[in-house]
Amino acid sequence: MPSKNAKWITGIITLLLIFPIFIGLIGTLLPAFAYFPPLGEYNFSLAPWRSLFSQGEFYASVKLTLITGIAAPLLALWFALSLLAWGYQRPFFRKVEALLSPILAIPHAAIAIGLLFLLSPSGWLVRLFSPWLTGFDRPPNWITVQDPYGVSLILALVIKEMPYLLFVMLATMKSIKARESLQVGQALGYSRFTLWRKVLIPQLYPIIRLPIFIVIAFSLTVVDLALVIGPNTPSTLAVTLLRWFNDPDLSMRLMASAGAIALMLVIVVVLAGWELAHLSFSKLSRAERSNGKRSGLTDNLLRVGVALGLLCLLNAFVALALLPIWSLTRRWRFPDALPSQWTWDNIERATPLLMDLTVNTLTIALIATLMACVISLIMLETKRHSSKGSSLSKPHVFDWLIYVPILLPQIGFLFGLHVLLIYLNLNGDLCAIIALHLMYVLPYVYLTLKGPYLAYEEEYLLQANRLNHRPWRNYVLVKIAMLKPAIFTAFAIGFSVSIAQYLPTLIAGEGRYSTLTTEAVAQASSGDRKQVGSMAMLQAFFPIMVFWLAQFIPPRWTKWRLALDALFSKKNRRNNKCSV
Amino acid sequence: MLSVNAFSLSLDGKALIKDLSFEIASGQVLSIMGPSGIGKSSLLHFLSGSLSPNLITTGEAFLNNQALHTKSTQERKVGLLQQMPLLFPHMSIIENLLFAIPADIKKSARIDMAQDALEKLGIPDKANALPKELSGGQQARVALLRTLLSQPDYLLLDEPFSKLDPALRRDVRAFVLNEIRHANIPALLVTHDPEDAKAMEGDCLELGILISTLY
Repeated sequence: MPSKNAKWITGIITLLLIFPIFIGLIGTLLPAFAYFPPLGEYNFSLAPWRSLFSQGEFYASVKLTLITGIAAPLLALWFALSLLAWGYQRPFFRKVEALLSPILAIPHAAIAIGLLFLLSPSGWLVRLFSPWLTGFDRPPNWITVQDPYGVSLILALVIKEMPYLLFVMLATMKSIKARESLQVGQALGYSRFTLWRKVLIPQLYPIIRLPIFIVIAFSLTVVDLALVIGPNTPSTLAVTLLRWFNDPDLSMRLMASAGAIALMLVIVVVLAGWELAHLSFSKLSRAERSNGKRSGLTDNLLRVGVALGLLCLLNAFVALALLPIWSLTRRWRFPDALPSQWTWDNIERATPLLMDLTVNTLTIALIATLMACVISLIMLETKRHSSKGSSLSKPHVFDWLIYVPILLPQIGFLFGLHVLLIYLNLNGDLCAIIALHLMYVLPYVYLTLKGPYLAYEEEYLLQANRLNHRPWRNYVLVKIAMLKPAIFTAFAIGFSVSIAQYLPTLIAGEGRYSTLTTEAVAQASSGDRKQVGSMAMLQAFFPIMVFWLAQFIPPRWTKWRLALDALFSKKNRRNNKCSV
Repeated sequence: MLSVNAFSLSLDGKALIKDLSFEIASGQVLSIMGPSGIGKSSLLHFLSGSLSPNLITTGEAFLNNQALHTKSTQERKVGLLQQMPLLFPHMSIIENLLFAIPADIKKSARIDMAQDALEKLGIPDKANALPKELSGGQQARVALLRTLLSQPDYLLLDEPFSKLDPALRRDVRAFVLNEIRHANIPALLVTHDPEDAKAMEGDCLELGILISTLY
């Protein structure tokens, strides 16, 4: 891509990314200090904070947020490290790796709904053991989901976060020379788990610190997952804030804004605490690393982690399998393990609604992801162009800012941004929804494309330009065509991120545009498992399909294209002969 | 005729090449040898117009008395052949060849030119094959013909035989020399291997020890 104005292009796109976040933060910060002109509040004061601190629910919500937001990433990290230590470089682990991408692709809400079907008192787990073991002929009066301690929410978060961390860790294995370290260590007589504990995990942690922070920030602020499977009286702080923001009493918005700022402070405190804990832990364990013991009792921690990690994965797959089962169920009485009658009626009945939701969902996801791909390509090409002669790995300010939308809690600035949308008369507009989706899709697409794009062997394009003096055509026909696998993967990731968006759709769309995700979350507690199952199934189907296509098409593209060319040239030849 | 006058190259204040001048007649190959890091490839980049900005050069280059050093890469009509054949992996062999043939030539003539090239290579049946389906030697030959089909005014060869095994190297060298003579354009070869220079049957300039030898 011939780009002469690299600095300008980077600057404008960076501004376009940062401007809405900045406005959103201001739009939350000012009401938190009682300045909110739409409600006639023009005087700064601490009143919203005083109301916030006088709410008993606030403290209960913060407590729950801390429990779920710290336990989930801690467990996810433990299980992911254990699974990696157990399986890395073993042939069967390739199969486990292949199982990760569907879980990564599926929206959180779909997994939460599947877990609801699995773990609730009338769920499949209790059915499986009833009545022959439990003696239950009706669902027990237990609280297994939406429990007051947030255990089911923690489980759902772990199921979603563990594969992500595993995926990130696998990508770093080469840079820490894991295979070589394992060979050397095992030759010295160290057991596999001890080697991971003493040699590899300490090297791995600094590299994956940022993804861990993203996971922690997500766990502390997640809304859709917590709405479906989290506790509700009280709920986690993000869900409580959503309720306050949506309260018909508009003055609650001031307290909610103060709560949103408090949530951001909670993130900062938890991240600082996490880092401090890591520093203390690594200081304490340093002496143990060089004590020469070839195995140790602590290895068992990793062994237990493997068992629990596998159990989580199993849970995820059973939960996902339950989505299509429920959508095809006519009659499924407790305690039957499977439906006694099957039907397509549920899907047929839901088809008009599902069609509408699917059209909205796909329109938003396709446009936002295509835009994110184009912007990422422009940014990366200008980055490559501006780093000529210097190191490509030198980070540009955009490389840091791109993390801001992922790290900041959505609830912290989306409501502030909503005020701007109302001001611009863009509230409830499809363009506004796409723009907000783009803000969340862009970081994932950019970060996925960055590695392969900057590693591209530029000599191919230079050679193309020497052979054929049409730079734009060469850029598309040679560079973009050769980067197809990376672009397809980035597209699939961006698409699945867009499909999963709940709060941006809800806030920008104001209910005028529903997607599969917003509707599935809204109906999750309705009790109509057949309809919710159909929605969640579709919600899971599209990302999996796009992920599969992204893996399937690029290696076959050239072969298919050449076969089609051959077919058409044969046809043309035959037609020419006829005309002669 | 390709000529270079008083070419000097320096990196971080250190002179690598000083006052180098030479001429290459059409259909002839001048070989340049010398130790690594002496600036052989940089000389090629100077002639192709893709020199790294941290290298400082002085001197002039002319093609048939027309200044080259003032032109952009696109305006120079240069062919460059490197160690890697750089065939586009997602295009078939015939598409790789067609890519190089100027667009202002009629479509049927372009296809004929590409097919003639395939005949010359002895692989007319591989038109729709992908580059990875060819041997290393076949890929090197296709890369040369692709470069020549772009109708360059001069050719630069940056160790194009170094990745080939010794048995293949002899055949490909002969093929390259034959094609350059047939195209009747000047060519500059950079190599480490004296056998390459010998096979090109032209002058050889050895950088670093400031003597030129005629094989």
